[in-house]
Amino acid sequence: MQRTKGYPEALDKKLADTRLFEDERHPDFTKTIEKISMTIPHMCYQCGTCTASCPSAPRSSYRIRKFVRRALLGLEDESLTDPDLWLCTTCYSCTDRCPRDIAPTDVIMAMRNLAAKRDIIPVNFLKTVQAIYTTGHGVPNNDVNRAARKKLGLNPEPPTTHGFPQYVKGIQYILDYFGLKERADKIVKEREG
Amino acid sequence: MHEYAFFLGCIAPNRYPGCEAAAIKTSEKLGIKLLELQGASCCPAPGAFGSIDLNIWYAMAARNLLLAEQMKKDIALICNGCYKSIYEVNEKLKHHKELREGVNEVLKGIDMEFKGTIDVWHLAELLYDPKICGLQKIRDSVTVPLEGTRIAVHYGCHLMKPKKERHFGSTEHPYWIEEMVAALGAEPVEYRNKMLCCGAGGGVRGYDLVHAIDITNEKMINLREVKADALTEVCPFCQLQFDRGQIEIEEKFGVKWGLPVLHYNELLGLAQGMSPQELALDLHAVSCEPFLEKIL
Amino acid sequence: MAEKKTKKETAPKKKETAKPAAPVKTAAPVKTAAPAEKAPAKEQKEARIGVFLCHCGTNIAGSVDIEDVQEYAKTLPNVAHVDNYQYMCSTPGQGKVKEAIKEHNLTGVVVAACSPRLHEPTFRTASKEGGLNPFRFEMANIREQGSWVHMHDREGATEKAKDAIRIAVAKASLLQDLIPKSVPVEHAAMVVGAGIAGMQAALDLANAGIKTYLIEKNPTIGGRMSQLDKTFPTLDCSQCILTPKMVDVGRNENIELMTCAEVENVEGYIGNFDVTIRKKARGVLSMEEAEAKGIVGGGCNGCGDCEVVCPVIKPNPFEMGMKPRKAIYIYHPQVVPLIYHIDWDSCIKCNLCVEACGDKKAIDLEMQDELVKVKVGTAILATGYDIFPIEKKDEWGYKKYENVVTSLEFERLICASGPTGGHLVRPSDGATPKKVAFLLCAGSRDSTGIGHPYCSRFCCMYSLKHAHQIIEKIPDAQPYLFYMDIRSFGKMYEEFYYRIQDEGAKFMRGRVANVLEDPTTKNLIINAEDTLLNRPISLEVDMVVLAAAVEPAAETDKTRKLFGVSRSMDGWLLEAHPKLNPCGTTTAGVFLAGVCQGPKDIPDTVASSEGAASAASIPIHMGEVELEPYFAQCIEEKCAGCGMCVNLCPYQALSLVEKDGRKVMQVTEAKCKGCGTCGGFCPGGAIWMQHFATPQIIAQIDAFLLGGAK
Repeated sequence: MQRTKGYPEALDKKLADTRLFEDERHPDFTKTIEKISMTIPHMCYQCGTCTASCPSAPRSSYRIRKFVRRALLGLEDESLTDPDLWLCTTCYSCTDRCPRDIAPTDVIMAMRNLAAKRDIIPVNFLKTVQAIYTTGHGVPNNDVNRAARKKLGLNPEPPTTHGFPQYVKGIQYILDYFGLKERADKIVKEREG
Repeated sequence: MHEYAFFLGCIAPNRYPGCEAAAIKTSEKLGIKLLELQGASCCPAPGAFGSIDLNIWYAMAARNLLLAEQMKKDIALICNGCYKSIYEVNEKLKHHKELREGVNEVLKGIDMEFKGTIDVWHLAELLYDPKICGLQKIRDSVTVPLEGTRIAVHYGCHLMKPKKERHFGSTEHPYWIEEMVAALGAEPVEYRNKMLCCGAGGGVRGYDLVHAIDITNEKMINLREVKADALTEVCPFCQLQFDRGQIEIEEKFGVKWGLPVLHYNELLGLAQGMSPQELALDLHAVSCEPFLEKIL
Repeated sequence: MAEKKTKKETAPKKKETAKPAAPVKTAAPVKTAAPAEKAPAKEQKEARIGVFLCHCGTNIAGSVDIEDVQEYAKTLPNVAHVDNYQYMCSTPGQGKVKEAIKEHNLTGVVVAACSPRLHEPTFRTASKEGGLNPFRFEMANIREQGSWVHMHDREGATEKAKDAIRIAVAKASLLQDLIPKSVPVEHAAMVVGAGIAGMQAALDLANAGIKTYLIEKNPTIGGRMSQLDKTFPTLDCSQCILTPKMVDVGRNENIELMTCAEVENVEGYIGNFDVTIRKKARGVLSMEEAEAKGIVGGGCNGCGDCEVVCPVIKPNPFEMGMKPRKAIYIYHPQVVPLIYHIDWDSCIKCNLCVEACGDKKAIDLEMQDELVKVKVGTAILATGYDIFPIEKKDEWGYKKYENVVTSLEFERLICASGPTGGHLVRPSDGATPKKVAFLLCAGSRDSTGIGHPYCSRFCCMYSLKHAHQIIEKIPDAQPYLFYMDIRSFGKMYEEFYYRIQDEGAKFMRGRVANVLEDPTTKNLIINAEDTLLNRPISLEVDMVVLAAAVEPAAETDKTRKLFGVSRSMDGWLLEAHPKLNPCGTTTAGVFLAGVCQGPKDIPDTVASSEGAASAASIPIHMGEVELEPYFAQCIEEKCAGCGMCVNLCPYQALSLVEKDGRKVMQVTEAKCKGCGTCGGFCPGGAIWMQHFATPQIIAQIDAFLLGGAK
């Protein structure tokens, strides 16, 4: 985040004060992250083992170490608006190796949860929600598959919510409890019209 | 017979039903009965739902667990992603009162309550465990040994990691699935950085496909170095990523691979004499023919 | 040997307790030698207790209402005088105690202040100077157990302080004169472990005129330092500076060196430790031993003829397993003592060595372990360290990839007297490595439960040294140090860091996540992040050196238990006080030197050894040591002579003796630690625990429970 100086827009952008001031840091953010993630990013000593283990780091600007630093310093806006937040594949290699016993993956998940609360969430996640709401499956059955299942001597519909659609109500209840379907529909509409 | 409630997930039943059929048939031969679990849903996909709201993830996974609790059977499953959701949520809810109470508050509305009475197993660990099945039994069940084939193993991520929350031992240099491959008569081959993620998880496959398949491509390059005839895994989502991914890699990067990718249950099926038709191998995006030629 | 009776005098007394409600056990310890009538007459006095409240600045006064407590203290039975002061431990504070004793004829003093661990000695001395026996002083801890733990509860802290003082006054009212017992101190010391720490301590003690037993488990002295090539920051050759000390130790008349020896058992107490040493069968006689057996001109002279003919080849532990040796061997040519030894696990008793030895008859394949008993006044533990089994951190491939070695293995490879003559070679193919990665903090600063959470202190420095050695020995070699921090804390250490960076070592700030191996070339691929550049690194190197964590040597646990020494939370041996007494332990007469107390470089090790030797020599030079008079006493008129207490005593301090035709118990006071096991057990109430007698304790309990807050 940068402090602008009231210059013409282009110059404000170029010359913004990029120093880290205290007003950018929110201790509550750190606390919330630690509560959701059930881990201890405030203990990070920035050794870099996590980033060194990360499959996404060599092919993008994503740095898990930086995200943990941001959690420690309470840099809420910077964390939640960074598109790199969504490049973590949750492989858990960083968590496996962290010498301070922190789970950086869970820090990312917590940040994603907080971002989602701000409606910052890639549309593919929301589409998964919609599919599950309708069918109970993130990757639902289709006709090609049904035909294949039949040939194998399996029921064309698996005994899941596909074969027993009465169970979909339960799924919908849960999703509605959290108001997720409504929000998902709204956001998808906004983004895709 | 060891009986388990068979949790299917999404990708196996809805994209690679051969895995499902193979799991049921081959397990039966090995003394494991996979019973029908009715009404299960998506686990839910840990990368997708965990990212949106962990509370929803806990609740939906708990609902799936409860279906098995009602059957009074432990769950067996064949997907690493489902393993993370179903196994981990089971453990977390068993040990964290606050989480459990929160989840039960939600489930009250559908007349369900998580009690924590069952355990969750990946079919691969059941097959490996000498108390349930074991390598010798696998060997004895083989009628079509996969001789002359070099098969590489992709362990995936969520089965064994984080090692603090799992019980599979070393996550740096495991060899137990290679042992299971060897039990089928094939030659297991190790390759550079074999523990690398497939790239699909955490919603990345949906969010940034080329980023995800670039990770997959790195693995493909390492696999070529060892001249593998096939890649095997224990996760249909990884399977999808490697299978469809090779097509996407060709489309997006112009690189052609053609390495057959089979779930361990499919390999086990072949080794026990199931036909490619019985395994619906024709549904694979990358043709399994080159591999089948070597064994049949 | 502790002499009973001669030095000790008891004052048989009958004391009335202040509180009539409390049951009184007026049991006065009676010595048969001095019948009660003839006992030194001390007037039966009514208890007159002085209570002194300390503010301790705001440490106590900040949470405790001193005035309120003072008023309360005045109401307590037997209290003759109450006062308070800012800092009771100061000169004026102590002065108040001294004066009040005289002015108010006090029979006992209570100071309500900090923990007795800090100032009990101070106020005992003040009481003594005021004319009172120092053991009539009782401390009430209203700080560590009062104001400091109830900082936000002023009311609660104040009430608790009142309770503490009431209890202390009740006890002080019943305290008696006690005389500490002095025991003579054996004019000998023991040092366990003969690495640089043990050797230095032994030399200091010996040169101070004290006979010192130096016990070493290995066949030679020298320890870890003899395995090192060069030492930082001066780059002296380690063996070059060590061997003169080794020779000194071997020659010093006051040092009795026992190698291949371990401590088997320890009994006794400061000044009088009875130590049993197991001299393990070496299989080879020294010249002295041969002479004693009547073999003229016999014994091992280090010629090595036996080694030549021995058919068994095994790895040499001194060379970290990288060089072969025979079943009969010496670690290296400069061993002290220069006597061969046999590895019984690999010896096949073919007798070829016996034949080769010939007339010297130095080899005895039937040799057995020998137990030797010695008596010492004080002991120093200098048991050193082992390297953490770093294969447990399997992400770095140790023991899986051939070209991944530990720092100690690197030392042997780079050392001119090592397995490769000082030529650094790769284990896989013997090639000279050009690119070498050093992984710092391997297994240290690790909270995962696998490694150690502490910093191993000297690995940064030796890694710098290793980088230098590579640059010096291998032209166009490039060392990389992967680090989290560079801890170059000591004298000339930062300058050394500057030098190594200047010499061209590359410092990559990022802890290595994992190491992979190229199966054809056996090169290693390092995965780390340059956290300063914010970029992941993939670096292919020829060799990896792990700066592995250190931990206490394996045998430490067994040895330290024999001497009654505890471990700190981090596993190293526990010092008496981390700042004010790092060489002592809580067991009187036992001291710590070197790394066994915590990781140290050589300068700090030598300093701690000199400290330990100094401390260990004090009781010996003084010739006697005072024991606190907390020992048990037998009330003979009540003793039934059942003897049940004798076996209960953990220190074997009790025995049954015949007196006037009957059996009674007798205490060897010097052995008694006042633990109270016998006193608590005796069914007849015939045992009096000095300074913690039953009436005193009951008075404390009653004061607490019955004399509640008003």
